[in-house]
Amino acid sequence: MPDRKLPRLLQAPAVLLLLVWMLVPLGMTLYFSFIRYVLNNLRHPEWTTPSPSNWRGFGNYQFVLNSKDFLLAIQNSLFIVCSILFLTVTLGILIAVLINKAFPGQGIVRVLLISPFFVMPAVNAVLWINMILDPVLGLQGIAVSGINDVVDGLRQAPVLGSFFSLWPEFEPISFRATQTSAIAVIMMVTWQWTPFAVLIFMTSLQSEDQQQKEAAVLDGAGTWSQFRFLTLPHLGRPIAIVVMIQAIFHLSLYAEIEIVSRGNGNKNLPYLIGEFANNNIGAASATGIFAVILANIVAIFLLRAVGKTLME
Amino acid sequence: MGRIVLDQVSKCFGDVEVIPPLDLTIEDGEFAVFVGPSGCGKSTLLRMIAGLEDLTSGAIAIDGEDVTEVPPSKRGLAMVFQSYALYPHMTVRKNIGFPLRMEKMGQAEIDKRVETASQSLNLTDYLDRKPGQLSGGQRQRVAIGRAIVRDPSAFLFDEPLSNLDAALRVGMRLEISEMHARMKTTMIYVTHDQVEAMTMADKIVVLQAGVIEQVGSPLDLYHKPQNVFVAGFIGSPKMNLFSGPEAAKHGAHTIGIRPEHTDVNTTDGMWEGRVGVAEHLGSDTFIHIHDTGLADMLTVRITGDIAVKHGDKIFLTPQADQIHKFDAQGLRIE
Repeated sequence: MPDRKLPRLLQAPAVLLLLVWMLVPLGMTLYFSFIRYVLNNLRHPEWTTPSPSNWRGFGNYQFVLNSKDFLLAIQNSLFIVCSILFLTVTLGILIAVLINKAFPGQGIVRVLLISPFFVMPAVNAVLWINMILDPVLGLQGIAVSGINDVVDGLRQAPVLGSFFSLWPEFEPISFRATQTSAIAVIMMVTWQWTPFAVLIFMTSLQSEDQQQKEAAVLDGAGTWSQFRFLTLPHLGRPIAIVVMIQAIFHLSLYAEIEIVSRGNGNKNLPYLIGEFANNNIGAASATGIFAVILANIVAIFLLRAVGKTLME
Repeated sequence: MGRIVLDQVSKCFGDVEVIPPLDLTIEDGEFAVFVGPSGCGKSTLLRMIAGLEDLTSGAIAIDGEDVTEVPPSKRGLAMVFQSYALYPHMTVRKNIGFPLRMEKMGQAEIDKRVETASQSLNLTDYLDRKPGQLSGGQRQRVAIGRAIVRDPSAFLFDEPLSNLDAALRVGMRLEISEMHARMKTTMIYVTHDQVEAMTMADKIVVLQAGVIEQVGSPLDLYHKPQNVFVAGFIGSPKMNLFSGPEAAKHGAHTIGIRPEHTDVNTTDGMWEGRVGVAEHLGSDTFIHIHDTGLADMLTVRITGDIAVKHGDKIFLTPQADQIHKFDAQGLRIE
């Protein structure tokens, strides 16, 4: 039909651009993941140029699966993403409901709440790990030594002293240590992304029907029931949006992990790709394909879960 | 049971007094209609009875018990909102059952009550749908169903029919009237439509600017309006009201005559005028008459039809015993 040709023609550049944008990198990743391709190898200089003659089949995938960090990276990716999602959505709902009521200074509070979102990820990580979480110089170190001083003082007190002398000396936690660096990453990203959730939930709350709430009040619903049966279902769709967008973003976290521990015991898939990419592009590409698969599984799984529980 | 007594109830929003202190009693089983132009405070009054608005002063008693400080859900009242206010994420079944669920009633009992209510409202086929999949009239029924299941001592309706189209409105009006006849529960109904008020009410409360202008049965208000406002508000088409020498002849500041109480003649009569627009409804004809020298326009209503055209000369004669007389303050003179 002639009258459909023109719209299609006009759409074509955009569609084409999108296809190129997505398919070319994906295609190159797929291609590299099946060949031997390294940046530097003295014994096999032919591997340093990508060529089908260096075909390795699933060799790169095998190599990645067998590398000692792969399982940790998958676990850590999931742990970090799921924790951040849970925390940002929970905090986001609580804060949004809290500031939805009118109070003096509402405008300023809203701007302040949203401001963490404008901090760059790397800056955010540097601020947190050095100024807040550092066991000696950060707020944490100061707070812990302060508490220790207070407890020390109380030990000298006449009657209570014997009780406080039973208390142990508090030890500051080093968030650069392997086990805790993931926690540090979760904390700083949650701080940064909660405003995003608050912003989305707040706009949604403002469109909530007030007569429904009044009807619920007359029906005998208390504050909790109103929240559970009206507000939460109303937020179902925004929650799904927040979860989906954040899952996509946080599966590719890199800067925070690099700055907190340089991947020391706290790698996720993108960080592993980065490490491989120092030399072995083939293995990095294979890891990239694993990351794509993981992202799809997470997205489908999360959307189903959120959709089912809230939109019943 | 549901006798509602308002004692010196008033409401201010900031410095603005929307309802000056008023007294009102609604008897058990009565169908009371609050009617008035928009912004007259009728909805606010209803919301105060429901407990959704605080009272600035005064007290409300239901069945002799002071409920002024009682939370809305404990007053035993059920309300139907203009926007229906159905819960969009729940099925019709869950919507209707919601107040019972909040009362922590057992599931079997809830199911039974929802079943009974939905049968009386012809909703059984829609129980598993969500409000978004229903028509306006069906949503209204669900809202009423949600009110019925609680077995309240009184129903409050806040302009429930104004979102429906004309044909559906007439149907729902009848259904609500029949529901009242069957259940004999107190109902308070807010509307700006005086036709709804006249057709449904046992007792009409006419409000203007938060003040009760008159309380009475529909026919009371029609035959004996206490003041000019009620005279002009009740009745359709509106009563013709005018002052001047013609009113002085009857010893009044203002006189009023209803369109249906004026005889029309093309040859002679008390007042002379020129025909404007004639609205032919078949059973009746409304004729708008200009240039009488009494008011900008008079309206008469005659049964059947009359052969007049735009611009024709016409004569009017009011039925002498149907003339309403009002003094300079706008109050009725007997």
